[in-house]
Amino acid sequence: MKTALQLPRYLLWITIAASCSATTVIPVSVESLTETSSEIIEARALTSWPQWNPEHTIIFTYTRFEVMRTLKGPSMPEIVVKQMGGSADGYTQKVAGVRQWQAGEQSVLFLRSSDAADGSLVVTGLMQGNFRMSRAPDGEVVVSNGISGVIAYDRASKKISRYQGSRMTLGDLEQRVMKAERP
Amino acid sequence: MKIKSALKPLLLVFLLSGISLMLVSPAFPFLAQYTKPVSAGGAPQRDHWDFTAFAVTWSLNPSAGSNVQGDRTVADVMQASFNTWLLAPNAVVVVSRAADSSATAAGFDQRSSSNINLVCFVCSGDFSKDSSTLAVTMTTVSDAVGEATGHGGSSRFVGQILDADILFNPAVTFSTGGSSPGQDLQTVATHEIGHFFGLDHSGIVRAVMFPFAPPSQQALAYDDVAGLASLYPKPVPDVHTGSLTGTVRFSSGGAVFGAHVLAESTTGAQAFAGSIRKTPIGTLSFPDGTYRLDGLPPDAYIVIAEPLDQPITNSDVSGYGPAFSQASVATGFTTRWH
Repeated sequence: MKTALQLPRYLLWITIAASCSATTVIPVSVESLTETSSEIIEARALTSWPQWNPEHTIIFTYTRFEVMRTLKGPSMPEIVVKQMGGSADGYTQKVAGVRQWQAGEQSVLFLRSSDAADGSLVVTGLMQGNFRMSRAPDGEVVVSNGISGVIAYDRASKKISRYQGSRMTLGDLEQRVMKAERP
Repeated sequence: MKIKSALKPLLLVFLLSGISLMLVSPAFPFLAQYTKPVSAGGAPQRDHWDFTAFAVTWSLNPSAGSNVQGDRTVADVMQASFNTWLLAPNAVVVVSRAADSSATAAGFDQRSSSNINLVCFVCSGDFSKDSSTLAVTMTTVSDAVGEATGHGGSSRFVGQILDADILFNPAVTFSTGGSSPGQDLQTVATHEIGHFFGLDHSGIVRAVMFPFAPPSQQALAYDDVAGLASLYPKPVPDVHTGSLTGTVRFSSGGAVFGAHVLAESTTGAQAFAGSIRKTPIGTLSFPDGTYRLDGLPPDAYIVIAEPLDQPITNSDVSGYGPAFSQASVATGFTTRWH
């Protein structure tokens, strides 16, 4: 049996966000996400639906959001976000770590136009630009993009370390976005 | 189950009385991806190939841009990466390389009988806009029995993998070896091939299936081997392994769904020959609170149960709850270990 003193250090190395990121990723900062996103919004998921691409080879899932606040880009009451994967006609397509939203779920979304030039929006950084909103025990609204909330690999230092860009208060995220927009 | 305080100690009774060491049998490790049947009421099934249904092969589009550099070809690296899994102890996977392809689009066409599992370095899409995404693997599985396999037959079970395409981001610099700069291609390829076989991301930091790529990590870990062997068990295993089972309950008696349970060896024993790296092996508990850790070599272990609360949350394993018709994993307890 391990001692209580040993446990936290032990957990630091094994308590990792499982299924938390898109396949293989390198964490990017809020500032970088802000720079590369055309739209940043706080939104609530309303409904989702799957749809094959025109070639009928790839399933995408579209989710309609009610926009609660716009931090960057044009202000719109609703937007639709496209993601790889979904279920249709007896098949499910998956990209590890890409998760779909449930109705009512609230997120801060960093978005840009799809490469398909079909008018749809996609999450910047595959899923890194999806900061889910939740309420902490003290009542404060916190956000997390689920990307290595505990540990991340830093290429520059070649060390595994805590990733600071993941979980924060909603207020802190808003401030970082605003500062990145108008440094 | 709602409890009064998430931080109040001793709310969790972590029952290990059911622990036993037994021969490997079919189980449901956390590492596998799950598919919920399209029909109502069916139990979620683990994604995996049926190597007897049709020949499972991979086809390389050998084209690569200047972003791929080094003293080996991409074909050599991919073959070496597949071999890492093919040679894993205690598992039988039957996959071979097919003829190269010039395809630049991933996907699955149910109307075709000649789908290929594409490995591509020049395929682009929304994922390739961001250099932070090194590669993606898209798998297509059957939600129901009897669906067209894309190989001239019909699917035999829910969760049967029918297609898997691995796309490396053309915007990322990869090194195939030598002194070339860039992300080590074999490290990334080995991880992606784990998804090819139906494995999900692991919570074990030193596992190949951990989602963040280190500079170089080409050898499998115990956690990877346990995941693969549970999906494709070798009839006569190279190393006999066992399972740890038990139940995670609140002190009130209620079951804890979605507790992260880990087994960590307390000795320096090495069970597997070669380069397999020793790591903990993990899983999540089921709706009735039971858990089962498979693929454990004979050894002494501590077992840890911890909540998926912040910074890890239910949202990070969002497919797990719905697969078992649960709204969320339980988090209202404190970490316990035995």
